[in-house]
Amino acid sequence: MAIKKILILLPVIIFAVLLQSFYWVPTYDEQVKGNPHRLEEFISASTGDAKILNPILHADASSGSITDQVFDGLIDRDEDLRFRGRLAESWEIYEEAYFYVNPEAAAAGRNTSRPEIIKDFILKQQKSNKSDTLLGRTLNNINKIEIIPAVNGETEIQAAGPDTNKDGFPDPVNIKVKYKAPPQLKITLKEVDQGFFDVMESVLGKGYFKSFPSGDLIEILTPGHDDMKADIAGEVLPATEHNPVIVFHLRKGVKFHDGQEFDSGDVGFTYEAIMNPRNLSPRVSDYEPVKRFEPVDKYTVKVVYKRLYSPAFGTWGMGILPEHLLNSEALNKEAKSKGEDPAKFTLRDSDFNRRPVGTGPFVFREWKSDQYIVLDRNEEYWEGAPNYKSYTFRIVPDPLTQEMEFYGGAIDSYGAEPHQVKRLKSDPKYQNFSGLSFGYTYIGYNMRRELFKDRRVRKALGMAVDTDKIIRYVMYNEAERITGPFVKQTDYYDKSIEPLPYDPDGALKLLNDAGWKKNSEGWLEKDGKRFAFTLITNSGNDLRKSILTIAQDSWKKIGIDVKTDLVEWSVFIGKHVNTANFDALILGWSMGIDPDLYQIWHSSQTNENQLNFVGFKNKEADDLIVKIRQEYDYDRQVQYCHQLHRIISDEQPYTFLYVGKWTAVLDKKIVILERTPAGEEKIKKITPTKTGSYTFYFNKWIKLAGNPRFDAE
Amino acid sequence: MLSFTIKSFFQKLLTLFFISIISFLVVYLAPGKPSQIDPLNPKFTPDDLIRFQKEFNLDKPLHIQYYLYYKNLFTGQLKSWKDNQPVIGKIHERFLNSLWLFVVGTVITWCLSFPVGISAAIKRGSVFDRSTAFLSYVMISVPGFFFAYILIIFVVKTFDIPVIGMQTFGMSGADAFYRVMDRIWHLVLPSVLGALGGIALLSRYVRAQMLEVIHQDYIRTAKAKGLSGDVVYYKHGFRNALLPFVTMFGMILPGLIGGSVITESIFAWPGMGRMGYEAILARDYPIILTLNFMVAVLVLIGTFISDLLYMVVDPRIRL
Repeated sequence: MAIKKILILLPVIIFAVLLQSFYWVPTYDEQVKGNPHRLEEFISASTGDAKILNPILHADASSGSITDQVFDGLIDRDEDLRFRGRLAESWEIYEEAYFYVNPEAAAAGRNTSRPEIIKDFILKQQKSNKSDTLLGRTLNNINKIEIIPAVNGETEIQAAGPDTNKDGFPDPVNIKVKYKAPPQLKITLKEVDQGFFDVMESVLGKGYFKSFPSGDLIEILTPGHDDMKADIAGEVLPATEHNPVIVFHLRKGVKFHDGQEFDSGDVGFTYEAIMNPRNLSPRVSDYEPVKRFEPVDKYTVKVVYKRLYSPAFGTWGMGILPEHLLNSEALNKEAKSKGEDPAKFTLRDSDFNRRPVGTGPFVFREWKSDQYIVLDRNEEYWEGAPNYKSYTFRIVPDPLTQEMEFYGGAIDSYGAEPHQVKRLKSDPKYQNFSGLSFGYTYIGYNMRRELFKDRRVRKALGMAVDTDKIIRYVMYNEAERITGPFVKQTDYYDKSIEPLPYDPDGALKLLNDAGWKKNSEGWLEKDGKRFAFTLITNSGNDLRKSILTIAQDSWKKIGIDVKTDLVEWSVFIGKHVNTANFDALILGWSMGIDPDLYQIWHSSQTNENQLNFVGFKNKEADDLIVKIRQEYDYDRQVQYCHQLHRIISDEQPYTFLYVGKWTAVLDKKIVILERTPAGEEKIKKITPTKTGSYTFYFNKWIKLAGNPRFDAE
Repeated sequence: MLSFTIKSFFQKLLTLFFISIISFLVVYLAPGKPSQIDPLNPKFTPDDLIRFQKEFNLDKPLHIQYYLYYKNLFTGQLKSWKDNQPVIGKIHERFLNSLWLFVVGTVITWCLSFPVGISAAIKRGSVFDRSTAFLSYVMISVPGFFFAYILIIFVVKTFDIPVIGMQTFGMSGADAFYRVMDRIWHLVLPSVLGALGGIALLSRYVRAQMLEVIHQDYIRTAKAKGLSGDVVYYKHGFRNALLPFVTMFGMILPGLIGGSVITESIFAWPGMGRMGYEAILARDYPIILTLNFMVAVLVLIGTFISDLLYMVVDPRIRL
């Protein structure tokens, strides 16, 4: 019967064709044996594909790890997380401070509006005072004083208007202002000094800057905004202004992968590309404090900032784009060749984002969506070519599949989870690493609520939870205690601060002191009201869910009635976190190295949609937060951070729980290979740096054919 | 026949219009906002958010967004929010990848299910019938990813051969013949896995249908005429049992898109299902909506083909 035969034969033939292919496919062993180049290829696996290979546009980790290999920034961080030069060989930071001559104040006892007199007066003071006092140091920090003549003019500024848009943010309004600016003194300082004007006040007379009548010197032309006059005046004619300046000296002779030489034009182009609103760069806010960008010459650039903002320095780690491939001329040409409207064609649409060209240690070769991205080493890399000939980024969405490929030798590294690393810990074929992540998990208390206003209560809640047990049983010891808001492996973190002890009895005592007494049913009570609240977190995170249960149980034991709730992520953020509609929550922060905590801890950031959703307000902390972001001196910054760390740890707005660890496995045959100038080769074991990065020397890695033997060091 | 075709065509067009509205609303009203901005990342400001919303037309009223979206789709200007690549190009590439898996899996399923189901029906209660029933229920009730993992671990550990992705990694330098064979090998596990699940389900339906038909008078007549068993069952019985499967055949087309999300993810297969799944996670509306729209079109085409096939298979049906 024909039908039956077809129905059976067809699949049999298909099976035969499918299965015979087995004999043509190389086994893993053959792949390695028959392919000596495999040792010179590094293949890493990722669960997600990259999105856009452009350092100024990407916002995902996968794209980031590729662009880091293809592009170089002006600076990056060294083993100790301090800054070091990359495309910039060196840099200087100094300050230009401005103030208006105050026509009404009596400067040094004389009522003068003539800037020359004030200038001479300051210079004379500088000459006569060489002491090592605050005043002496401040005066000696002055490099140069210049006079900017008086000027009248008109300007337009943007301010937050009275109306709000549908997202709850104020609609901006444009206001026209006419001003009469008095002469101004520009003082160049050798070092940035955030306290400069405080000291100058003692030289020029008390209240010299505060009494500057900026309000009388402006006239608002757009009607209806007179109520905002003081704010507008402060913006158009600020009495004093700090303008920190960074001068980068660029490395000479560095070439892009296409052979074009890198120079200051590329740095300027990258900055402008970020600021160009059409490109929709997610890094705009990083560069918003820049007042102006000046290419001084081919190998020098100068960046002047509007205000003191030290985190801005770190943003120059951004990969530098090649101007000659992406300027408007090049984009126009590309748009035309693709038949698109040049007026609508932006950097985002360019094919560059799928085949990038940078100055980094690896050169882009090929990208197959959702399969792999291949990079070749840059033979002319300024720091010396990497040992690996190629770097491949394979996309394998499933963690178990990744593990199988790793066993088979088809990938060298993957995002191994702790339990996967555990399986290989005792296997002599592999080496494994672990280190602290940049982030922590915490329980946050809504300090707007009466219940949590008392510091003793927050502290008691923290003491009642056994965090060490959480680390042992929930995190399988892949975590460490943390006591404050800084990255634990940096100097900003004060290691002398002790974590809260686990002490339920002590907690009960603290609560008693705060007025909470146990009632007949065993619940804590104050003024006839039971101590009860709801602890929430987002669903889909098993770790947080476990902590939720543990915390609830621990608190119940000392007589607190806790309800818990798991909420879907977008609802959790939209309805609870952003609107500060919660009692207590479990959440985590992932952090950068920079110690700027303004958005998370400053009291001005406690409104809706802002990140200080626990409502932490502390005057002292506010001062320190501002000081930290205005300080350019590392040691002083560290000192302020330690002070802030102690305040936050004393106040306990969060119960700081733990910082997790990352884990990684590599074949033991992968080692660090260094060549001495004489051409001698020396191998070293891969060891994580002090700050826990094992890939820091990646460019020197190589895979050996056999197991390595290390010389005793 | 012609008038039916025309009428049906316009009906389907109208349905498609309503589907386009509903699928648009479903995606836009679902919680979570599309954005490359993480609301909890301190580096982003509300201004950034507004800029992104403007760029993606998210600040406009819904009906304008609807209009703009479909206008861009039909003029080929629609771009993914994720990487600014044209949506049509992305889908085209993935479609070709998924097509192979789909074709091989479907052919195996639809060929093997009938002999298996018919034999089980004829030998009702036999060892063959009971063992296929058992295996079918195992295949249906145990989730596919479980078998996928077991198979991967088994094949990799026993044969030491790569099975992940569409080709062995690093084979691009080999001869064309080896590359083709390599590609075929990588089809084996995912397509066979998909087919097994399909056979398990479909052969059950075939068996049930066949059981109904076997007891009809014309089968007895055919047997009485002295026809061989195969002719009786495959010619006389099969035709009459086929009717419900015509409808089902029309419904397999949309499986091209959504049928293999899990298989594609586990095997790192760059196909349509995986793209759709990742687009949903990233709230990449252009991709989600276009795939939605394509599924709707495929369903409608599928039912249209079923209607036509009905007339061919069963001349009694006059539409």
